[in-house]
Amino acid sequence: MLLQRAFGRAIAFLQRDARHFQVLFLAGFLLYGILALGWDAEWPRYAILIGTALSVQSLFIRWKGVAWSSLKSALITGLGMSLLLKAGSPWTLALGAAVAISSKFLVRWDGKHIFNPGNLGIAAAVLFTGDAWVSPGQWGSGAMLVFLVGAAGGMVVLRVGRIDTSIAFLGTFALLELLRTVLYLGWGMDVWLHRLMNGSLLLFTFFMITDPMTTPRSQAARIYWSMGVALLAFMLSWKYWINAAPIWALLIFCAINPVLDHFRKGAAFQWTATPPTITPLRTN
Amino acid sequence: MTMRYLFLFLVALLAQRSSAFCGFYVARADATLFNDRSEVILVRDGQRTIVTMSNDFQGDVKDFAMVVPVPVVLRQQDIRIVDRRVFGMLDAYSSPRLVEYHDENPCYPQVLYDSVQEESLMRVPTANASRMKAEAKDLGVTIEAQYAVGEYDILILSATESTGLKQWLIQNGYRIPDTAHEVLDPYIRSNLKFFVVKVDVSRLQLTGSNLLRPIQIRYDSHKFMLPIRLGMANSKGSQDMVVYAFTRTGRVECVNYRTVKVPTDRNIPLFVKQKFGPFYKDLFARAHRREGRNVVFLEYAWNVTPSFGGMKCDPCVGPPPMPREFAEAGVDWGGQNGGGGQVFFTRLHVRYGREKFPQDLVFQVTPNTEHFQARYVLTNPATGDLSCASGQDYLEELYYRRHRELEELQALTGWDITKRQGYLKEVGDRLPAERRNSLPEWNLPLGPNDGGGTGPGTPGTQWPLALGTLLFVLLLLYRLRNAVAHR
Repeated sequence: MLLQRAFGRAIAFLQRDARHFQVLFLAGFLLYGILALGWDAEWPRYAILIGTALSVQSLFIRWKGVAWSSLKSALITGLGMSLLLKAGSPWTLALGAAVAISSKFLVRWDGKHIFNPGNLGIAAAVLFTGDAWVSPGQWGSGAMLVFLVGAAGGMVVLRVGRIDTSIAFLGTFALLELLRTVLYLGWGMDVWLHRLMNGSLLLFTFFMITDPMTTPRSQAARIYWSMGVALLAFMLSWKYWINAAPIWALLIFCAINPVLDHFRKGAAFQWTATPPTITPLRTN
Repeated sequence: MTMRYLFLFLVALLAQRSSAFCGFYVARADATLFNDRSEVILVRDGQRTIVTMSNDFQGDVKDFAMVVPVPVVLRQQDIRIVDRRVFGMLDAYSSPRLVEYHDENPCYPQVLYDSVQEESLMRVPTANASRMKAEAKDLGVTIEAQYAVGEYDILILSATESTGLKQWLIQNGYRIPDTAHEVLDPYIRSNLKFFVVKVDVSRLQLTGSNLLRPIQIRYDSHKFMLPIRLGMANSKGSQDMVVYAFTRTGRVECVNYRTVKVPTDRNIPLFVKQKFGPFYKDLFARAHRREGRNVVFLEYAWNVTPSFGGMKCDPCVGPPPMPREFAEAGVDWGGQNGGGGQVFFTRLHVRYGREKFPQDLVFQVTPNTEHFQARYVLTNPATGDLSCASGQDYLEELYYRRHRELEELQALTGWDITKRQGYLKEVGDRLPAERRNSLPEWNLPLGPNDGGGTGPGTPGTQWPLALGTLLFVLLLLYRLRNAVAHR
């Protein structure tokens, strides 16, 4: 009975705020990388990314008077970047994390920020320093099915996060890949699966493109928008052999978000599970 | 009689003089240890790729034939023959090394070789050219270009479908496995061309050697990959490939498979010195199994720019590559004086088979300049009279150390160390009886243990799988229960 109550409380905790699930899941995957895949000797990198993200967020909290609970968002950004971004110099990492967090406060339109913070931070580090990179192969494909089922299953079962964007993106991407890889080029299904069971792609699918603050407000717009990201990512990867194509595709699509929101108004998102009738909170 | 199908794309550069190192290099595990292996030099500079394929063909050269998918129709000036010694040189410089700690100061003679002048035997074979073209056309195969380079007759083909291409290749004496169409079709659809090579025996004789020389090709393309699937069609088991990659910026890594460092900096018993080759071979096999048989191993990564001032290697296994070797390998930004830019050298070793490597290898150049080498350490004991008190303490510590070395050896290679009690005993015997008897009774984890994970899954994937599934089921049950309760 005790166990059951503890379990019930854990579920309630996870449902109270979608970010709780995200933090746990991302931290779990980081641990998996360190323990099972041997990403040891990378602790300083994680510390810099997460530490910078939290510090910069704290500064803005003081400055803008935002709720301290918004540190959870910064933690997610830091964790997500730890899983994706690599760099030769600690300054590059700090720059990436700082750009990511400050963009939330400085690059805004119509009451919300435009760019997905982690996405922009990675892009800035790669573009501006020439010292950063993303290693799409670092996950291997072994445990990726677990990731897929865990992330999707968790979101569905706990009813947290915007899984519609994940499904629209991954579904479209998988379909395009199927058409090209298997039906057009004639590779076997194993090639198709191997292309999809990529840690960076799945991480992007469930923890980056799902960010409710930087996706269109209306559900219909959101789904078309996600499909657009998938199409662009697909084209970049096949036409130009760009390895982290979804990252660049999302960056471009975030930029056109304000236009979409202008035409399709929807309810603004709020992180915590309070009744939807209340005025939207500032949720940086 | 082996037919080699290779494919390649990528990287590049220069190395340096050995400077300070504290160990003495004693042996290396070079690429020739591995059977059924191929070696490739990849130079990648922007969109340009220069691929050099080694040729260790052992049979009658008349039987030699090679088919390599390439992204563009190569021009004659894009194809050349290079000195085969470049491979030996790069291999020697970057191979896993055994280092012996010792008082002696190592010195390495700087051995340089003269690059063989490329012969300009550019006669285009025309004997059957028109007949070949007509036949090819009927089969949907187009001969895009035809060159004679050195001892090789080279054709660049494009095709509209695999059946015709396969038939054409068979008719022209290329041995194509039955399953080749599985990969030929995707390559044709991907708009790849086929670089097909045969040997002209009369021209080979002019070179004064029976050995075939490596072929180097260069082209501009977004695609930075090695089409390994065609080679798999021909081989049942797994094959080894060593890639020597050179870039301006940093390491080359694989994008669609994990790139993993081989175990390095391990202290191992002295007796491994005599069998370092087998040691590394078994270590590699074990690491390959442990990682799930689907990774690319990093064996070496170093800034080899001639002007680079830092330590070049510790220890250096061979003379560092010089500007001339870099030029031979296709690194063309160094210049003869080596002053043209940074050269970063990455050595990758992949053991691949059809089951675990569905996709061709795709690479990327990263700005990662972290150095790495595969290095194994022997430590010679002190010699002379050790009868004083601190000498006795030293011997006891030596006993423990040797035990750790044996355990390390077993963990790395799976070797049976039960037969190696003598390695401990020779130290124990030098201690007085009362001290010897107080040493713990070692029960070496004896017997070859197979902890390398031989099943389809690896320890690395099983535990998260189990944990994830368990959590998911618990969540689902909880939800269901709640749903029923609400009703």
